[in-house]
Amino acid sequence: MKSSLAMKSALTMKSALGLIALALAAAFATGSSARAADKVTVGVIPIVDVAPIYLGKEKGFFEKQGIDLTLQLAQGGAAIVPSVVSGQYQFGFSNMTSLIVAQSRGLDFKVVAAGDSSTGKAGKDFSAIVVPKDSTISGAGDLAGKTVAVNNLKNIGDTTVKAAMRKAGGDPSGVKFVELAFPDMPAAVANGRVDAAWVVEPFLTITRDQGAKVVSWNLVDTADRLMTAAYFTTARYAKSHPDIVKRFTAAMNQSLDYAQNHREEARRELLSYTRIPKDVVDRITLPDWTTKINRKSTQTLADLAVKDGLVKKRPDLGSLLP
Amino acid sequence: MRGAMFVQAYGDAARGLIGLAVFAAVLELLPRIGVVSHVYFPPISAIVVALVHEAGRAAFWVSLFLTLRSWAVGLAIAVIAGTGVGLFIGSFETLRRLTASTIELLRPIPSVALIPLVVLLYGSTIRSTLVLVVYASVWQVLIQVLYGVQDVDPVARQTAVSFRFGRWGQLRHVVWPTTLPYLMTGIRLAAAVALILTITSELIIGAPGLGKQIALAQSGGAVATMYAYVLVTGLIGVAVNLVARVLERRVMHWHPSVRPSMHRARTP
Repeated sequence: MKSSLAMKSALTMKSALGLIALALAAAFATGSSARAADKVTVGVIPIVDVAPIYLGKEKGFFEKQGIDLTLQLAQGGAAIVPSVVSGQYQFGFSNMTSLIVAQSRGLDFKVVAAGDSSTGKAGKDFSAIVVPKDSTISGAGDLAGKTVAVNNLKNIGDTTVKAAMRKAGGDPSGVKFVELAFPDMPAAVANGRVDAAWVVEPFLTITRDQGAKVVSWNLVDTADRLMTAAYFTTARYAKSHPDIVKRFTAAMNQSLDYAQNHREEARRELLSYTRIPKDVVDRITLPDWTTKINRKSTQTLADLAVKDGLVKKRPDLGSLLP
Repeated sequence: MRGAMFVQAYGDAARGLIGLAVFAAVLELLPRIGVVSHVYFPPISAIVVALVHEAGRAAFWVSLFLTLRSWAVGLAIAVIAGTGVGLFIGSFETLRRLTASTIELLRPIPSVALIPLVVLLYGSTIRSTLVLVVYASVWQVLIQVLYGVQDVDPVARQTAVSFRFGRWGQLRHVVWPTTLPYLMTGIRLAAAVALILTITSELIIGAPGLGKQIALAQSGGAVATMYAYVLVTGLIGVAVNLVARVLERRVMHWHPSVRPSMHRARTP
């Protein structure tokens, strides 16, 4: 009995101290963090490209902007877009061609920050067209009439592969695209089930480990430092919550800048949210994480979307891009 | 009699284990002698090493817990709803005839066909998983319960009526004992279907759980880790089936199909 009483008073003592500590903390807190942070959910994909937002969250860039950030890993853009439209996610991550197609189909999206961009350097980019080691294909021009694997048909993969073929003087009309998930591509290339494949990191490193040869740096061949993907929201949300969007953009740009300038830290971050093996993480080529919204490359992607029949109507880039 | 049965049971178990060991040996050998590429199909020893490594991560146990929870909650909802609705519809002949066409229309819709709908409604959350699990498994229970109620011996029913059993008395003493074996079959089928849908939903929608870990390992190119998770889901499947069978025997110890003194009905 006595001991339980003693324990009780010890507990009360502890909680009293805790309360005092809390009160002190509240008293010393600055004005900005006293306001409750806005809860924001962002739909992302477990790929290399989104390392900055994970890094930025860890560094407290979003907290500093009064944003309580939740990152929701989705299994691909197909799961992100409906969730952003329905308002479960406030923001999402998507490649630019998907956004251009969505825009031309009447989904009113707004890009709020750059996602990632091609490095613009052939031989040192995160995206390429690879062929089996014993292939006779030596350049994008030789792909005419061949079977090429892309992760999604009628998207950024096939349009940039075709653009690379045109640049190399090949005829893209006879190329046959097959849909294959990136993780399945190394095996498909090694077994010769496809003549070529469009791969991005980490599968570029993995296929090259298995002897595959790069025949074209398709993003470099398509446009200068092509902006591959972006963070977006709906026009409705951008209109009703301009303040949150502004703060999200600020935090996102700070994250991109940080990742761009601390590339090894960004590389380490990959070990936290992806399951890419460490020896692969150490060697992959990271994308460019500039904050610059590349209008020119987006225009090129939009032109390709029209040329290759992905969209019927010319997309309105003025309302899509900030 | 009992002794003979135990010997037979142990013999079955031993043969089963030998079969498994041979299968594992083949899985180990195929990639090692180069029949399949060890890069995409690592030997079973590499998968086990990856599994041991995963077991040291908190994410593994959290995912395991979430998967089992989605499965259990979904199955419980399906069993309760399926049994209740089944007994109710089955008790009224007109109602059963009225609803038969609707049930036959809804039942064949594969739960996975509802994925676009649940993504729109609930996104990559456990609620999405639950909708798919309940939809897929409720039919297994409902249909079996309906069959069970149909199977009641008319003589037994009429006897109960002559003894002035009320509606509740009939349900408790005539309908329920007949329906129970059907219900248990329904639960066993539903348990397996619920697990399939739980993993499918996590794998495709990205709802948290083991299925999501498979997808994450796959999209990171961590092949052995991916197979390790596949192995875990397989083991859960075995465990679910075992539990369902034990439950079936316990609940129906009085039933001819389970009673040892009767001719032992062998189930596959």
